[in-house]
Amino acid sequence: MTSLPGTRRLLITWAILMTLTVVSMVSARLDQGDWQSLPLWSAGLVIAATGFKAHRLLMVYLNLRAATPAWKGTFVGLVILTLALIAGSYLVARLAG
Amino acid sequence: MSEKALPNPGWGPFSALPGNPLMWVLILSEMLVFSAFFALYAAERVTATALFDASQRELDPLMGGLNTLVLLTSGLCVALAVEAVSAGRIRRTRQWLGASMGLGVLFGVIKVVEYSNKFAAGITPETNAFFGFYYGLTAFHFAHVLFGLALLALVTWRTSTENVETAAAFWHMVDLIWILLYPLLYLLR
Repeated sequence: MTSLPGTRRLLITWAILMTLTVVSMVSARLDQGDWQSLPLWSAGLVIAATGFKAHRLLMVYLNLRAATPAWKGTFVGLVILTLALIAGSYLVARLAG
Repeated sequence: MSEKALPNPGWGPFSALPGNPLMWVLILSEMLVFSAFFALYAAERVTATALFDASQRELDPLMGGLNTLVLLTSGLCVALAVEAVSAGRIRRTRQWLGASMGLGVLFGVIKVVEYSNKFAAGITPETNAFFGFYYGLTAFHFAHVLFGLALLALVTWRTSTENVETAAAFWHMVDLIWILLYPLLYLLR
């Protein structure tokens, strides 16, 4: 049995995840009726919020904080690689368009 | 940390991970598969930016956001079920698992409504490359949600710490994939 995060930490993490989701939605300007490309800072905020959410989910919900540094690095590295791919292609598409 | 103090002694590198180590093999392989699909989507978007941008307008990012909130709350319930089962509170564990499954079903209902709206508007997986990815990625994820719901139902019946930890790990992986999928398909434009 690994040491679990505890109810308090889980609730705080949940609140952070919910807040960051709403921040992403606001940052993506879903409130605007007209559809247009996001400013780069806004897209950057969406990606940063996504990365932080993924990190918290891995460390607290999946409880990887109790695992070895190698496993933490593997999972966090995979998420960073995936986000870098998403951000890179988005940037290339924006600059080319 | 000595080998015996680890959650799964005797499993080599997987000894330090909670729940059944084979589930972690599955989680890692699923993450790699989804990452490969994300890379394909990203590459395709670069070659057909205008088409992807125009098609993305047809999606409903509010519904996608609502589904994110639902799935994250469901993940909290599963994590609380793990806390409860480790404290030997089986009845409470089953209640949290039930809440989690209820929210998982709600996710499915919202997804089906979204699919229905798209089909009613004549948008199918064959409409164009973007919608091929949209339906492919979200349906593949949806299949994982259904499998996760079956796992949660199974561990509600056969409730033990290892079983609940194992199902919870899979459910959180489903959460994690959606967290990455949502901005990719719905938000970044």
